[in-house]
Amino acid sequence: MAEEFEPKIVAFLCKWCSSAGSDLAGVSRMEYPSNVIPITVMCSGSVSPLYIFSAFNKGADGVLVSGCHPGDCHYIKGNFYARRRIALVKKLLEYVGLEPQRFQMSWVSAAEGIKYTQVIKDFVQELKPLGPQKKLRRIQ
Amino acid sequence: MVNLEELKKEASQILKEGKVKYIIGLQSSSNGLLPVPAFIKNPEDVEKLVWNPACVYNLTLFLRDEKRRKAKEKEPDEKPVGIIVKGCDSRAINVLLQEEFIKRDDVYILGISCENTGVLDEKKLAKKLKGKKAEKVEFGEKDDFVITTEDGKIKIAAQEVLSERCLECKAHFPVIYDVLIGEKTKRNIENPFKSLERIESLPPEERWKFWKEQIDKCIRCYACRSVCPMCYCDECVVDTISFVVTPDTPAEEKAQKIKWLEKSPVSSENFVYHFVRAIHLTGRCIDCGECERVCPLDIPIRFLNKKLEKEAKELFDYEAGFDPDQPSLVSSFKDEDPEDFIR
Repeated sequence: MAEEFEPKIVAFLCKWCSSAGSDLAGVSRMEYPSNVIPITVMCSGSVSPLYIFSAFNKGADGVLVSGCHPGDCHYIKGNFYARRRIALVKKLLEYVGLEPQRFQMSWVSAAEGIKYTQVIKDFVQELKPLGPQKKLRRIQ
Repeated sequence: MVNLEELKKEASQILKEGKVKYIIGLQSSSNGLLPVPAFIKNPEDVEKLVWNPACVYNLTLFLRDEKRRKAKEKEPDEKPVGIIVKGCDSRAINVLLQEEFIKRDDVYILGISCENTGVLDEKKLAKKLKGKKAEKVEFGEKDDFVITTEDGKIKIAAQEVLSERCLECKAHFPVIYDVLIGEKTKRNIENPFKSLERIESLPPEERWKFWKEQIDKCIRCYACRSVCPMCYCDECVVDTISFVVTPDTPAEEKAQKIKWLEKSPVSSENFVYHFVRAIHLTGRCIDCGECERVCPLDIPIRFLNKKLEKEAKELFDYEAGFDPDQPSLVSSFKDEDPEDFIR
């Protein structure tokens, strides 16, 4: 039997919320797919579009940027900047023809371990039928 | 119709009065239709100045060089630089002012209104002339261009040979100026993003095919970067590709100089470059179309910038270059920014 495709997801998680949220999911022994490569960043607003392009370039099948809910940012307004920037990046990637499901953003607070697992589960579910991301990947 | 004599008069006057260091304008070239940039210091030389539909250049590019030159001088001349701008170029000045790259006192702006015309698209003209070589292009009496070929003069309606960006131009008169030449006429544009529809209407896979084909052509000559008045970073992210890592390279240096993309002009690396370029110009690009014009491989780079311009307008109601005092697109936000894409 052929092995099922397991997508590789690069997740940029805000140190103050989503990263703690993923930690909570882990500490509470919730089950969720192990396809995520988490990268803790200081704020979702610090995620440069270049990180996202670079992740796809280096072979990510999906990229997730996760930050605090609006109004909860540790730096007061970092996630508002992120919201604007990510919207533009998303539009650009869709415009050149990348599947819109491959790039997602979510708000996950430090208390939302369950939501984090749900986001990852949904993301993996959506990526599986798409197969590996070959469009922007560097050919070795 | 643009009055060249008036332009020359104003230019020589400000030079005589010593208001400006020099004037950045255009003079006719010895080869081809397009003029070449002129840097005029003496009032006598203003006779060299030209203004015709082939003046496609965005001269604000030279403000970047001027700033760098000034930074190196020990006792810089603090007088402003005179610059001749069209509507689109004046918006570029507005963006540079907004970003505090230049100060208002650094420039003396001679604004020229395109009125009902604009600049020429060389390719459209070549098609129109069917192989005949145009020697000279001038503004006609009304909204037409007078083109001199080997067979004599012909008149062509401006609309037929205008570059695409001029047909979609929102303000074809300078929005910031010290002296205005021509009139601020109103022109109705039904859809300022009409040319985009060609690509947007394609299904995603077709769109991917289109862009892959285009971006694959890129040879990474960075002409688009060099010609862009907004690309003024001292260090560009794509330059880190020349960073060599040896066993002796210290960790700090490696951390500072990340090799984000490879030098080789292959599809994946080209995409990163063009994405970065497009994102970096979001809310800053004023659609002067220079990147596309200089591209030796005719990649429709403008469509990347234009798309993001459209999204900025539709999602955030933001237009670049109209107000030097507004906060920039990505360094501001509104509470009601869309977030329906966020889980």
